[in-house]
Amino acid sequence: MRAAELPNVVAIRARDIDPGLPTPIWSSEPTWGPTDPEVVRSATRERLRGVEWSRITRGSTVNLLANPHGFALCGEAYVVMLEEIERDVVDRTGGRVRLRIAESMGHIENPDWMKIFDLAARFGDVAEVPQIGRGIEIDTRIGRFWLVRDLFSADHFIHTHVSEMREGYLHRMLDRLLKPFGMAYTRVETRSAYHFGYGPRTGQIVSRAVFESSFVQDRYTATIVLDTSPEGVIGVDADNDLDALNRRVSVNLLRNYGTLMRTLAEIDEVTVVFDGHGCFVYAYGAGVAFDNLLYGALDFLDLDNLALMAGLVSVLPTDRGLFLNLNPAIKCLVMNYMPGGVPFIGSIKNIPTILVDGPASKWLINDPCNPSLADYARHAPDLPGAMRDAEEIAGTDKVIIYDGVPGALNVSASLATHLLERAPAVAADVRDRLMPKWLQQRGLG
Amino acid sequence: MAKTVRMVAEILLDRCTGCALCVYVCPTVALTLRNRADDDPVGPGTRRVAELDESTCYNAQNCLEVCPEEAIVMHELDEPFRIGVDPKVVDREAIGRICSSAGYHPKQPVCFCADVTAGEIAASCLLGAATPGDISVMTGARTGCTELCNQPVLRLLAAAGHSDPPQDPPRGFQVYGIAAQGFDLLDESGHVDAAVAAEFPLYPLDRDLQALRGNFEGA
Repeated sequence: MRAAELPNVVAIRARDIDPGLPTPIWSSEPTWGPTDPEVVRSATRERLRGVEWSRITRGSTVNLLANPHGFALCGEAYVVMLEEIERDVVDRTGGRVRLRIAESMGHIENPDWMKIFDLAARFGDVAEVPQIGRGIEIDTRIGRFWLVRDLFSADHFIHTHVSEMREGYLHRMLDRLLKPFGMAYTRVETRSAYHFGYGPRTGQIVSRAVFESSFVQDRYTATIVLDTSPEGVIGVDADNDLDALNRRVSVNLLRNYGTLMRTLAEIDEVTVVFDGHGCFVYAYGAGVAFDNLLYGALDFLDLDNLALMAGLVSVLPTDRGLFLNLNPAIKCLVMNYMPGGVPFIGSIKNIPTILVDGPASKWLINDPCNPSLADYARHAPDLPGAMRDAEEIAGTDKVIIYDGVPGALNVSASLATHLLERAPAVAADVRDRLMPKWLQQRGLG
Repeated sequence: MAKTVRMVAEILLDRCTGCALCVYVCPTVALTLRNRADDDPVGPGTRRVAELDESTCYNAQNCLEVCPEEAIVMHELDEPFRIGVDPKVVDREAIGRICSSAGYHPKQPVCFCADVTAGEIAASCLLGAATPGDISVMTGARTGCTELCNQPVLRLLAAAGHSDPPQDPPRGFQVYGIAAQGFDLLDESGHVDAAVAAEFPLYPLDRDLQALRGNFEGA
């Protein structure tokens, strides 16, 4: 049973929370916009006219770097964008383009995108490249790091991205589009240093340093990004100048996700149901990742808040703003369907968790990243039973479902009422106070 | 704490080409290569195959991730087993010295998958661990996402006198080395040099590093 089929669950549109959302040019759901990916192809073609490929010579090799999140969030629209980039480079330069997908624990975390989108047939030379693959050491202005060698084993590379709001508590919307240079394109050494070696507003300095390294700059050509809103793709943007592109996209991101993020922070008590293909913090509802609720009690977009991950220190002062604690509004978690691949035990130790029996629960219990899940989660034979238990544990009938549906949140009627009551005031606060502050703090105002 | 190991890998010998990629990424160094035996299933024509020491297969699945031939499958164990190090069996002050030298509190979690603290990593060093592979076999660290704990493990090993441990096996790439971290940018005054900070005006580097050291004034 899917969670959206539970009695008393209703859908509220992201647009009802933020009426100012731009109209998508593409959505995976016809309710929100056109579903024909050819619109994205045309938009990509148009934007690529302004991109300079002069560094690429006939016969030289070009790695077109992709990421699993692009396939997960934008599906065929992302594939079409990649196809159009390849076509443009081949037509204009005669370069040899190879698709390289930067992965973490791909086989656990992701569906098989190669098969789902028939990537081998559509791109020819294509490979999935995990973070544990062979590395290459590079020097940067702040010291040495390691990249995944096979992503950069070409004369040039092209950076692609999907501009959604995930891991904001890590990148803090600083140098947002550079993040893969500190994470997705790097070996585990660099990723670990990003998490442990810098402060809560400074991890992205790794991305900045790696991107500006001579190794990367010698190979970098351009960046192409699908700009998104909670409803789908709102445009394609591209630039040789990543900083210029980052400034444009960052403004859009703050504008298009900020109100929804802060409205979710208004939830006072809730049971969270996972029922889609995204592991824990990477589970989505209305195009917004769960991490925005998990850490949403504190506005981590406000750089005045240190928002240090509480798990990284041993002594916890209580000053508001210093620490990024789990959202106390989350009273219970129900896992109906969810893949593994991302550690979340540290969170569920502090939140009662119910696992709905079935193939997915067996999969989760065997997940290498969460080997003690069975020690912390209780079981329920089916979803209705889990929800009865959850209501008793949580002491509330408010429910939010992360099931990967774009454009709308599936929630209990009680939570829908709560969110819709709060949304207008939140939208006004974001417009009048927070947005100017967020922009000013990043030099985007 | 401890990791419960619930699955074990199996090499499908009719598919294995002996490419050794799995050997190069196994965090517990549980995989090696051997010559094909006469009674092995008929394979793709290569002379070598991977061989697994099941006792140190901790369900990391790195092998599964990199195998280009889909020659590895996982099976549930009939009897899951637990692994871990009890830091109480080791001198507490010695653990404290290693952790302090590496820059971690002994109770700080470093491997969020296997639920291992810095103190437990330090304890395993004091119990004889000298390589990342040893650490993984003793504690289960590095056998989940493989990502988060990488640097704390290497820095704690270095603090215990095992800097720059050799690759095991020699051509493997389980780990490369210690990457740059923010504390490397602190000068003798304990603050980030002003010239360095000026190169990254977007980032409150010094204030963040002071906070990581427990000084929240001005953070």
